[in-house]
Amino acid sequence: MKAVYRALAYVVAAEVIVQAMAMVYGIAGLGKWVDSGGVFDKSVMESDESPFPEIVGIIIHGVNGMIVIPAIALLLVVSSFFARIPGAVKWAGLVLLFVVLQVALGLLGHGVPALGALHGLNALVLFSAAIYAARRARAVAASPVVEPQERIATSG
Amino acid sequence: MRWGSSRARLRLACAATVVVIGPLVWFWQASLLPEAYSVVDMGYPDVGGGPAGHLMAHGTHGSHAMAGRSLTSLRADPGRPPDVAVTLTARQQRSRLPSGRAVDGYTLNGQSPGPVVRASVGQMVQVRLVNESVPDGVTLHWHGVDVPNAEDGVAGVTQDVVGVGKEFTYRFVAEQVGTFWYHSHQMSHQQVRGGLLGALVLTPAEHAADVVDVVALVHRYHGVGTVNGQEGDAPVAVRPGDRARVRVINTDNGPMSAWVAGAPFRLVAVDGTDLNGPTPLRDTAVLVTAGGRADLEVAMPAGGSPVRVHLGGSATVVLGSTSFDAPALPKPKTTLDLLSYGTPAPLGFDPATPDRRFRYEIGRRPGFVDGRPGLWWSVNGHLFPDVPMYVVAEGDVVRMRIANHSGDVHPMHLHGHHAVVLSRNGEPTTGGAPDLRGRHHAVRRGWGGAQPAGVRRVCGVRIADARAAFREVNTRCAFRVAPRGA
Repeated sequence: MKAVYRALAYVVAAEVIVQAMAMVYGIAGLGKWVDSGGVFDKSVMESDESPFPEIVGIIIHGVNGMIVIPAIALLLVVSSFFARIPGAVKWAGLVLLFVVLQVALGLLGHGVPALGALHGLNALVLFSAAIYAARRARAVAASPVVEPQERIATSG
Repeated sequence: MRWGSSRARLRLACAATVVVIGPLVWFWQASLLPEAYSVVDMGYPDVGGGPAGHLMAHGTHGSHAMAGRSLTSLRADPGRPPDVAVTLTARQQRSRLPSGRAVDGYTLNGQSPGPVVRASVGQMVQVRLVNESVPDGVTLHWHGVDVPNAEDGVAGVTQDVVGVGKEFTYRFVAEQVGTFWYHSHQMSHQQVRGGLLGALVLTPAEHAADVVDVVALVHRYHGVGTVNGQEGDAPVAVRPGDRARVRVINTDNGPMSAWVAGAPFRLVAVDGTDLNGPTPLRDTAVLVTAGGRADLEVAMPAGGSPVRVHLGGSATVVLGSTSFDAPALPKPKTTLDLLSYGTPAPLGFDPATPDRRFRYEIGRRPGFVDGRPGLWWSVNGHLFPDVPMYVVAEGDVVRMRIANHSGDVHPMHLHGHHAVVLSRNGEPTTGGAPDLRGRHHAVRRGWGGAQPAGVRRVCGVRIADARAAFREVNTRCAFRVAPRGA
């Protein structure tokens, strides 16, 4: 289960990278399309047609961010219960918390764009937390299995 | 000892998993919808502080057996011959827009948009809808017109869908004057987008000779912006010194700005209702919400120079006589605020002493709808189908507070009633836009089966397929429940 926990934590981090790349890809495509005479308004936004191919980046960002990443974070929390890594539950919980915060900031950013800026900041926080959780798991997996109580006893 | 503790730990881990996943499974399971359900039995009743009538037998389906009348009896006078008779034949086909572009979608009488239906006030309008080849079936809804309920064209609520090879005849007396449109209300998302729509213009009995009537129906076909099916500039001949009434109809799913380059204009009507005392505007954009209409009256320059009416980013109408080479104008920075435009007019009812008060709060929250996880729209904090069913009675004055906490624009409109905006974000209305039909209201009329006489049930709105949009937080509006179909 340690390996699963570690893998899921890395997947969360990788997903943050995908999210950043997808968003910039989409925005860059929008800029190019507007430059060549395209007009972006609400009716285009609501249309089923893709005005420019890179809009897929924005769609990926939405689906990934609101469905896929929360599901992975939830699985990370579940795996942390079985992982027998000290602090695993805490770090998985933190990752989930940052994911929830990230979704909230992303959505609130539609109404208050400044919160969108915090969405960008929290992405880095989430990425760091996921990497940290994964690396802790690797450190524990590499060292001999140590019961938490014993560790507390020896370190105390 | 270690074996025991690891077993205990495993149990703890399993218990924790159940605690985390269990509620999700429960919510998922609870959100599953039956294969078929009635929109009439959906949600929970909200009587807004008024009498409940006999409707509170809700849930006991036998209640339909009580004294009342079927909505299908709420029709226009069947004995009166029509003054305007139109047959519209719906097809699913690849067709050519007036601009020449071939598009896959739907047509009415072989064209999209469908023919403009015109009638003057007092006339009996009769439209025979024939479905020749639309596999999912069609209906026609008369957007913004208070038709008898059985003529409202909402599949599954006021009538059964019109299948291939079937037909349905709509009849109503034109009692309102203004710009409206008609569209299918079966799988609206797909069929309206695909072109099952057209303009409906109800005019006064007398027509001013120096005003040219221009319909400007804006629709996006497969991402291409058009006006009356034309791409780019749609030229219209108007003599110098004359006026043009440009009836802008936004049939798309988002708000659109309209503005005029080359002449001042007045916003003379909104959503099929004339405004009181509209003043000339210049360098000002008018926001036309999804499904909404705006009638712009343009006074043509005496010198004969052409005038460009911008409709969103892509479609334009060019009014002119000799030249149609009108310069373009970027969207003005100022957008007209209807709260203070024009002069107030008497309402005919007192919104200060309502019979019922409702709140309608739009939000978004995570959850499951029919087993699908997502961030869903909510009404008063509840997800579909657990939405309020506003219960009103004939003659009631209803006051409603609408708040949008979602951060997004959401289109919706009220069928069969119209409302007046009293205030927005605490700022009262001071202008002459007394009747923003189809813009700022939240509930949809509709009821099924038999009803106790005189009691109207306003059913919960499935906001996902309503149209017209607003973004104001804390809009208050009031409407009176008009006697209808008696």
